[in-house]
Amino acid sequence: MTPSPEIRSEESDMELIHRWKAGDSRAATRLVGRHSQALSRFAASTGERDGVEELVQDTFVRAFASLDSFRGESSFRTWLFSIERRLMLDRRRAERRSRETVPLEESDSVSEYGALDSLIADEAQERVRRSLESLSPTQREVFTLRVQQGMSYKEIAEVLGSTEGATRVHYHNAIQRVKEFLKDE
Amino acid sequence: MNSCHEIETREMLPDLLHGSLDASVRAGVEKHVAGCEECREELDVLRTVKAAAVFAPTIDVNRVVGHIAPYAKIVPVVDAPARSRVVSWLVAASFLVVIAGGGSLLVVQQNDAGAPYASTSPSRPVDATPVPIRAPSPRTTAAAPVGQPASHALALGTGVETLTDNNIRQLMSDMDSFDALPASEPEPVMNVDNSDQGTR
Repeated sequence: MTPSPEIRSEESDMELIHRWKAGDSRAATRLVGRHSQALSRFAASTGERDGVEELVQDTFVRAFASLDSFRGESSFRTWLFSIERRLMLDRRRAERRSRETVPLEESDSVSEYGALDSLIADEAQERVRRSLESLSPTQREVFTLRVQQGMSYKEIAEVLGSTEGATRVHYHNAIQRVKEFLKDE
Repeated sequence: MNSCHEIETREMLPDLLHGSLDASVRAGVEKHVAGCEECREELDVLRTVKAAAVFAPTIDVNRVVGHIAPYAKIVPVVDAPARSRVVSWLVAASFLVVIAGGGSLLVVQQNDAGAPYASTSPSRPVDATPVPIRAPSPRTTAAAPVGQPASHALALGTGVETLTDNNIRQLMSDMDSFDALPASEPEPVMNVDNSDQGTR
């Protein structure tokens, strides 16, 4: 398997990171431009309600502030997704606390997905949205990262802090459910 | 229920969708998909799901970059925490010494208040060793118990009972003439000239 086209550009992420550390601010612009839309898609797909742009911005701010802790054991892209995911989880926990309710994570995430209502107009896409709503939060994350981001199971496991085997199971359950949902519609 | 049992090939459908397969692998997957209706349907579903993701907000790259602070290398500090730990321990030990000293002083003072007859002089600790029992002296039997100094004995060890009446009268008259007794009248207080205070 070869790296995805986004990764296969003329300058690798690590080279850009070294350039930025050497004082080249344009390297940061390249890195943000390379990964920001993928982070935005992931956030929107997994049900982030408001402030997707702010979330992506916070992800980069946090990532660049702690670049010395990035050892390159995973790809920079995977590392960004794991940071964004942690930020999303923190936000949702804070929202739950502010509402002073203790809903189940499943139902909570399903309600958050309603944020896409205004974004999706096409009927086929509306069906896809509803099919994704029927997934559990973890299934949705795995499915989104696999289908929309093209990540390998290994990368998804790194983002989620899980195992490859577990992500495979989540993906297979998710694709079965989505297919059945779309067939029944 | 899946009729296609090419699990490995089916798992690569998202990679086929993203164009991330090597040419040889890609050809094999495409050949399988061409002959497998279920995999074609699944690939269509994946295409639809992938296309639905384009509605995410567009990110203003320059705005994001504007919030990123310039790189500042984090220099690992190894010695500073160790030094600070030593200083912290020294401060803590000093506090302990002060607290222990103060506490001991308080205990000693409380013991003094509760036991007025106990010795308070550190140079004369209470002797806990048993006192040898001596044969009672016929002169001290009634006045002082064994092992305790006679409270009314004079400093030179001579008992009062050895003095005659004349000796006692002479002694008392001598005591009246001692100069070392404190004066009953207070010492005169010197007047301090405060006239220059207002000039400051």
